[in-house]
This record gives sequence, C-alpha cells and structure tokens, in this order.
Amino acid sequence: MAPIIQISQVHKHFGAVHALKGVSLDIEKGEVVVIIGPSGSGKSTLLRCINRLEEFDAGSITVDGIPLDSAENINAVRTEVGMVFQQFNLFPHLTVLKNITLAQQVIRKRTSIEAENIARQLLTKVGIPEKADFYPGQLSGGQQQRVAIARALAMNPKIMLFDEPTSALDPEMIQEVLDVMMSLAKEGMTMVVVSHEIGFAKAAADRAILMDGGLIVEEAPPDVLFDHPKEERTKSFLSKVL
Amino acid sequence: MEFDRWWIMVAAVVVLILLLVFLKPDPYQRILLFVRNGIWTTISITGLSFLLVMVFGLVVALGRLSRSTIIKGIATVYVEIIRGIPMLVQLIFWYFAFPSLIQGIGDLFNIAAFSNYKANAVAMAILGLTVGYSAYMSEVYRAGIQSISRGQMEAARSLGMTYFQAMRYVILPQAVRVILPPVGNEFITLLKDSSLVSVVAVADMTRRGREFMAANFIPIQTWVMVALLYLVMTLLATRLVAWMERKFKMER
Repeated sequence: MAPIIQISQVHKHFGAVHALKGVSLDIEKGEVVVIIGPSGSGKSTLLRCINRLEEFDAGSITVDGIPLDSAENINAVRTEVGMVFQQFNLFPHLTVLKNITLAQQVIRKRTSIEAENIARQLLTKVGIPEKADFYPGQLSGGQQQRVAIARALAMNPKIMLFDEPTSALDPEMIQEVLDVMMSLAKEGMTMVVVSHEIGFAKAAADRAILMDGGLIVEEAPPDVLFDHPKEERTKSFLSKVL
Repeated sequence: MEFDRWWIMVAAVVVLILLLVFLKPDPYQRILLFVRNGIWTTISITGLSFLLVMVFGLVVALGRLSRSTIIKGIATVYVEIIRGIPMLVQLIFWYFAFPSLIQGIGDLFNIAAFSNYKANAVAMAILGLTVGYSAYMSEVYRAGIQSISRGQMEAARSLGMTYFQAMRYVILPQAVRVILPPVGNEFITLLKDSSLVSVVAVADMTRRGREFMAANFIPIQTWVMVALLYLVMTLLATRLVAWMERKFKMER
C-alpha cells in the first residue's frame, strides 16, 4: 500500500530564509513519527505544509492519495487531517461543546444532536466530560489542549498533526496531554508530532527524525536515534535537550 | 444588570423638549410640528445608510485584507480617496455632478434613458453617505478582524472550513466585541453628518429648521429646538451602544 503521506523534495522560502531545502519523507498508515530539532530547523514549517497552512514553493505532497494542489483538494485534505497547535487556538467565544460541534455541523453536516453526542464521547475520552459547558478561558492549559485534541478528532481524521502540543503547558499538565496522545497512538492513529518529549517519543513513536537547517539530518527508531545517534549534529543537539 | 445612570440625561432632554412644547406652544409646538417630517427623514436616511454602510464596509474591509494585490489595491485606493474628500463635497457631487455626468454620457452615446436621468435627492443622499462612510467603517472592521489572533483562522481552516466559513463562525463573532464601541461612534457621527444632506434638496430636520427660520425670523428658538432633537437621538444611540456592549460582555 502507498504511504498515507508522501512528501517529495519540498522547498519553502520565507523571504530570504530558505526554511525547507528539499525535504522528502514518506509516512505509512498507522505510523507515529516524532520530529525534533532546534528552533528554525523547519520542523513546524514541514508539519504545516502537510495540511497546507503553509504554502510550499516547490516539490509535492500527497495525503491519502490526494495531491495538495487545488483549493478543493486542500479543503478535502484538511478535513482528513486534524491539527493540534502549541497555543491550543480554541475558539474563545464558544463553549467547549460548541468548539467541538462547530466544524462537525458546518463541514460534516451532522445534526446538532449527532454532533453533541460525538463531542461528549470525545470529552469523556480525553477525560473532561464535566467541562462541556465551560468556556475555554475557564480551563487550564492542559484541559484546553485536550479539548483541542477532541475538536480535531470530531472530524474523524485519518491523520493527526501535533505542533509542539505541550510546549506552552505548565510542567504538571504535560503528562495529561501526553496520555491522551499515547492512547491515540495505541489505537493506530497516524500521527506526526513535533515535540521534544523524548519519553513520549520512546514510548509511542515508530520513528524519530532530527531536522536541522531545513533538512532531515537523521531518522531512526526512537531508541536508536536518542541513545545511539550516528550523526554528530544529532549528538550535539541531544546533549543540549536531554 | 446595574441601572445605567446616563439614561437620566436622555430623560432630562426629553423632559426639556416636552416642557418647552407644552408651556410655550408658541413657538415651540409650531416648530416641532413644522420639522416633524424632517425628523423621520433624518431617521430613515441615517438608518438606511447605516445598514448599507455595515454591509459595504465589511466588503471593503475583506478587500483590504485580501491576498490578491488587485482587490487589495482597489479597496485601498477607494478608502484613501474617499477619506480625503470632505463629506459635504461628496454629497454635492452625487446630487449635482453625478446626474450631469450620466446625462453627458447619454447624449454622447444616444441613450435616452441616460439623457433624461433625474437624480432623486433622497436616493443620492443615501448613496453619498454610504459611499463616504463605508470607507471609515471598513477601517473599523479591518482593525477588529486584525485584532483576532492568526491562530484562530488557522484552527478554523485546519478543521476544513473555507475562508468565509471561518470568517462567519469564528473571526467575525469575536471581532464584533472589539468593534462595537467604534461602530457606535460611527453611527452617531453619521447621524450628525446626515444634516449635511439639507444642502442637497433633502427635507431633513436641519433643512426644515432653516425653512421655519426663514419664514418666522426666530432663529434662537428654532435652533434650540432642532439641536435638542438631535441631542435626544445621539444620546439615545450612545445608551443603546453601551447597553449592547454590556450584553456582549455578560455573554462571555
């Protein structure tokens, strides 16, 4: 079977900065890939290219057989790809429940009862069913991020992208979010995670990737990459992170 | 909800008008009856223009935020030109110059409907106010939309919403809270500037006041009455905006 995400020779410039210098990467269905790297290495940019929040200048990306070229295809891909952001980006004017039902009703055309049932199931799954009628501003960061995961899952995505999902969280809230991600991984969700949570990577990931300077420097199973890296660049980066 | 004490001010002006009308019917009741039609003209011109401004201003704002250089350019040029020309000059243009322009084009290309074109004063006044105020309103909208963090648009788009769905369900409902005070401000300014239409053959409150003064030679009483009528309207509008602001805050 063809890889569910096929990234081929993708280039991206921000003005004079060459953020991605021809990145190629295939991700299989059900695979969990963790991307690490210093800031400015292009790891978030690569992730954002997968659902075309960032346009790329050259190369191609195909998601679940759909090439990211036309506007229709981009919207089609986005409904199949859930995304979780560093800053949660919940809709502050809507309750937790409405945050999760909005896109279901607008995009998936589900009735409000259907959408609410799904939303409540997902809130139970991420461990905060009692927060349905709260506003995002009334929740802790960890709770907000779990709502954000539930919001993305409500669209029944085939792939979940996580852009530094725990970087904006207080230390004691990181684990509750990682636990949710861990259970998703166990269920066989295809996940691409930009994160420096080495513990999560070792426990859940099939593959770990180090990016630097807009290129993939090294990729290997997480145990190998973190404990026996081959590249000097990987060693020096890990010595600063671990 | 806490009682808004500024309502007392609205009540005071209303009471003052009533006292004048009942205690000194001559001339105040006569003035009021004379400008009565003008009151409705002022209210309807302001209301209709404002509705159109709300819609057209949003279109222009979205144009200015567009990624297309051409659309953005057109919207920007429109705003810059309109903001640079006095409202009174614009109104005079629409009533006097625009019809001549249409007639000229009609004569040139032999289009009878154009050659015989006669401007409707009220329609031209509403057109002029709409074109003029949409430029200001678009800036209010733009500031409001830009005050919402980029992450909101990205989150909505990542769920598969189109740009306009994201605007409608995510961005604009949040922007409304931000822009409500300046929008209220625009409404009050529009209400006052609607007096300019008295120059272009519209029988609004101001024009009726001038007609009454010309016939009766009592400028002080006439303009006290007209000023009080404007004051009631603007104070009422201010209270309404304040009420809406508090309502939105509570829903948060």
